[in-house]
Amino acid sequence: MILSFDTWQITLFSLAVGLASTVLILPFGITLAWLFARKEWPLKSVVETIVLLPLVMPPVSTGLILLKIFGRRSPLGQWLYNRGFEIVFNWKGVLIAMAVMSFPLLVRSVRTSFGEVNPRLEQIAATLGASPLKIFFVVTVPLAYKGIVAGALLAFSRALGEFGATILLAGNIPGRTQTLSLAIYNFVQVGKDPEAYVLLGITVVLAFVFVWTSEWLLRTEKKV
Amino acid sequence: MDVRFDARVTAIFGPSGSGKTTLLDAIAGLREIASGEIEIGGKTLFSSVRKINLAPQRRNLGYVPQEGALFPHLSVRRNILFGSRRVSRGAAAQSMSMEHVLEILEIGHLLDRSVTELSGGESQRVALARAILSRPQLLLFDEPLAALDIGLKEKILPYLARVRDEFAIPMIYVTHNVTEVLTLADWVLVIRSGRLMAQGLPSETLTSSRAIRAMPEEELENVFTVEFIEADKASGRSRARLSSGDEIFVPYVPTPAQRNIQVRVRADDILIATQRPEGISAANILPGTVRNVEMIEDQSLVRVHAGEIFCVRVTAGAITRLALHEGSAVFLIIKTRSFQLL
Repeated sequence: MILSFDTWQITLFSLAVGLASTVLILPFGITLAWLFARKEWPLKSVVETIVLLPLVMPPVSTGLILLKIFGRRSPLGQWLYNRGFEIVFNWKGVLIAMAVMSFPLLVRSVRTSFGEVNPRLEQIAATLGASPLKIFFVVTVPLAYKGIVAGALLAFSRALGEFGATILLAGNIPGRTQTLSLAIYNFVQVGKDPEAYVLLGITVVLAFVFVWTSEWLLRTEKKV
Repeated sequence: MDVRFDARVTAIFGPSGSGKTTLLDAIAGLREIASGEIEIGGKTLFSSVRKINLAPQRRNLGYVPQEGALFPHLSVRRNILFGSRRVSRGAAAQSMSMEHVLEILEIGHLLDRSVTELSGGESQRVALARAILSRPQLLLFDEPLAALDIGLKEKILPYLARVRDEFAIPMIYVTHNVTEVLTLADWVLVIRSGRLMAQGLPSETLTSSRAIRAMPEEELENVFTVEFIEADKASGRSRARLSSGDEIFVPYVPTPAQRNIQVRVRADDILIATQRPEGISAANILPGTVRNVEMIEDQSLVRVHAGEIFCVRVTAGAITRLALHEGSAVFLIIKTRSFQLL
């Protein structure tokens, strides 16, 4: 097995940025999932659709949209550049691509779990004097935590597997923005099959572990 | 619905789907209502006109739902203490210490158990303790015994009566069960399809025509207070005295602490005779006079004064055969075992 320095660097980079992107989307994903599960509001169905789009659209399309939004020629890109933030062609671009592509998976999983929490429990907690914030953290989240963890795991593994949006927004720069997926593509392109297979093995093992754990969590979730 | 009431325990009685739970949820603030006013103890909880809508947290009400709704991820102790930070003033607070509540409901030994290990009756008592210990100004019950089988209902009912007697918290009790109303309530509202059909004292209202029209399938029961005379274990019965002085035989109970006890007898369990029967097994044969005969839906109800006012359900054919009318002299025949003690 060729576990070269490069292999380590690529793997660790992917894991680190993937983890960061998951941590980043967690608060937004959980909040949005709760709003979807518990509240009705104007334009809710529009937002629901937009959130699901990255799941359904070709990743390169999403990547192109992100490039248009964050690229240096766009207003937002300019604004960020002037403050020293460059998104395109570095790890921040990888982070954003991963975050956007894995977001819908997180939201869906958490929303389903929130939906399975009996609203009667939350109502009773309210009559007992609990504030909405207390109800959320002491009743809703503990009862839905398995779905939240499962969603986070799914999001993380999706982030690790991200290719289309990443390559457009961050490019495929070895040592700077090359993730596991991008590296496999690269190695196959230049005929370095053994290296590609090593990375392939790593991605398969990681994906297997994450998906299995996520499914196990969802299976053992008690429906109240 | 426009209603005002002021009683220790007010029952809301009606068939399933009559809007009882909706009403309770509206009082608790768990449900929006289009227009109206809700006021408790002079304080407005909701007013569509004045745009007041207190959140459930601020209404200071305890809610005991049909299925207990205990928090499954918390222990029994943490469930019970969930709302206990809210403190009320006055004598009520004194009597409501946690130890006292646990003692009355007999759940002290369950404190460290997980909620999922509890039986139906145990979880209802825990839900009750949780509601009480949040020191509410009013307790709301949504058919709390509906999910329990008959044996368990009879076991838990006394706990509810104890709660009513021990703690000074007024209760609103939603149910479609006549026994619960008669045992617990001082006042009853009869509801059907979201409308108020009748209200009044339980013993009168539940056998009133309007109530029967609202709940034609329900058991009709006669309930009254009698004075205990003596117990006869050998023959398996006790004697009691009606308010008129007539004596009846009821199933054996040892002499109770209080002389006055409540008995109930179903309208279906009473026979009417126009002649005093001989050689009959029933021990109670009460002479009386028919007060009125009434047809409600497809039932015939005869009200007879025989020491108390008894409501008797018979077939229309019987009324014709016996030529029953107002003023008829009759005898009521009631088996000892048909009298049930509350």
